[in-house]
Amino acid sequence: MISEEYRGAKQWSRDKQAVFTVVWISFLVAAIGTMVFFALFDPVDLTGIFDGDLDIGRDAGYAAGFFFFWVLCALCSAVTAYLVRTAPKRDAKHRD
Amino acid sequence: MNKPASASMYESAKKIYPREIGGRFADLSKLATIILLGLFYAIPWMNWDERQAVLFDLPARKFHLVGLTLWPQDFPYLAMLLMIAALSLFFFTALAGRLWCGFACPQTVWTEVFIWMEQWTEGTRSQRMKLDKAPWSWNKFRRKFSKQFLWITFSMWTGFTFVGYFTPIRELGAEFLALSVGGWTLFWGLFYGFATYGNAGYMREQVCKYMCPYARFQSAMFDKDTLIISYDEERGEPRGGRKRSTDHKAAGLGDCIDCQLCVQVCPTGIDIREGLQYECIACAACIDACDSIMDKMKYPRGLVRYTTEHALQHEGTHVLRPRMFVYAAILLALIAGLTTSMATRTPVILDVIRDRNTLYRELPGDLIENSYTLKVINQSNSDRTFVLGVTGVEDIALDGAGDTVTVEGGGVLSLPVRARAHRDDSYGIMKIQFTVTAVDDESVALAEDSRFLGPTP
Repeated sequence: MISEEYRGAKQWSRDKQAVFTVVWISFLVAAIGTMVFFALFDPVDLTGIFDGDLDIGRDAGYAAGFFFFWVLCALCSAVTAYLVRTAPKRDAKHRD
Repeated sequence: MNKPASASMYESAKKIYPREIGGRFADLSKLATIILLGLFYAIPWMNWDERQAVLFDLPARKFHLVGLTLWPQDFPYLAMLLMIAALSLFFFTALAGRLWCGFACPQTVWTEVFIWMEQWTEGTRSQRMKLDKAPWSWNKFRRKFSKQFLWITFSMWTGFTFVGYFTPIRELGAEFLALSVGGWTLFWGLFYGFATYGNAGYMREQVCKYMCPYARFQSAMFDKDTLIISYDEERGEPRGGRKRSTDHKAAGLGDCIDCQLCVQVCPTGIDIREGLQYECIACAACIDACDSIMDKMKYPRGLVRYTTEHALQHEGTHVLRPRMFVYAAILLALIAGLTTSMATRTPVILDVIRDRNTLYRELPGDLIENSYTLKVINQSNSDRTFVLGVTGVEDIALDGAGDTVTVEGGGVLSLPVRARAHRDDSYGIMKIQFTVTAVDDESVALAEDSRFLGPTP
């Protein structure tokens, strides 16, 4: 007999699991991506490839790069998670 | 093993109230928390040679690690270091299970501190549960407010310390006191502080259960000789309550009195008696809990203990096994590689950028001239003088070649140079090499390829 408070309900809902997993894993991968990317490229050198007066410092460059990677990874993770979760079950054809 | 997922998966999470427990492993975990967090908060304040000993100076693109200065070009070292860290994790997981999770993971360590604060302000497990159920009152407000105050202050300090690894922390402290921290520094401080607050205050074990990749794949490193925390079913079953005076063996009972203490202390809310579960972060709180009961009952300790599957099955445990040798060999190779490459690292970097605006220039006296910008980076911490040179085309020379340049310690010198060669020797695209050699130490030398353009014949 396990006390009632522990029975069953200690899990997150599937949606919550999916959202937090997507956000967290994309955060970790974005952190690695940012590290590798900015070890190879200096944000100050990169601003030259944009037209106009995009004159941002390194700090802002790093931040922009990190959030770019994060959003990109989150998008990729989210679509993957969605497709995996909504895929037709393998036994679907036997149903009717 | 795990129970199959049921409809309860869709229910919202109930809060887990881990019960406080003292004991050998609780002491060990406290010690680990104090040492690890102590290091985290203290390191940025340590100085070395009049500057911060550990400073990841991103704005200047330099990492200072005690006496060593690393540059973006040293990235392979960082990559190797990360590989070493990952392999050490594999090695220790195979040997001793989830020691990392229970004692060293930042998630565990910060959660531990947040739980201390919760206990100081809201009391023991049963007091906390009662408080949460009770209607709002002055007492409840006071306790909740104190907890939030401690949590938020500690989180802010954590965020501040985190930023202090990237911005000189003493200057940052002065700015902080003058309330003039601004821009990205403030943003990242708040970001990290908020992440600490959310992860350690609220998400806690849910991070381990749902969000941590290591928790899912660590079982790949496990085998029957890996150290795990396990309930000794053979000894404990059949479980059941009894009076302390009862001769439980005669009554047909095992050593487990089914007191539920091991379940109540579990930060992830599992029952260790159901076997090895991936939610178990091996914090050993259940061992402490069970040992305290065994002491009271005057039964031998260790009904729940560190053991291996082989030991539980009365087969010997093998520490030395092929898996350990493979992990250890790769680990040693990586460490050896890193140490030798760092020991033989040339503390100078030469970048050559060809002037893109003109292909070449014809000078009087039948000379062809190309322009370049040389970037000489002195990676040592003291000033150094270098000789520049160029080779690859007959009689090619830099204007003023043989000249020396002095670069300050840790500095970058950007130097426009012109290379000249006779017209008869220069045609089409030719490969040349720039060289840089330290005057005081000829082993500190480097060559970098570039191109020299001449008229097409």
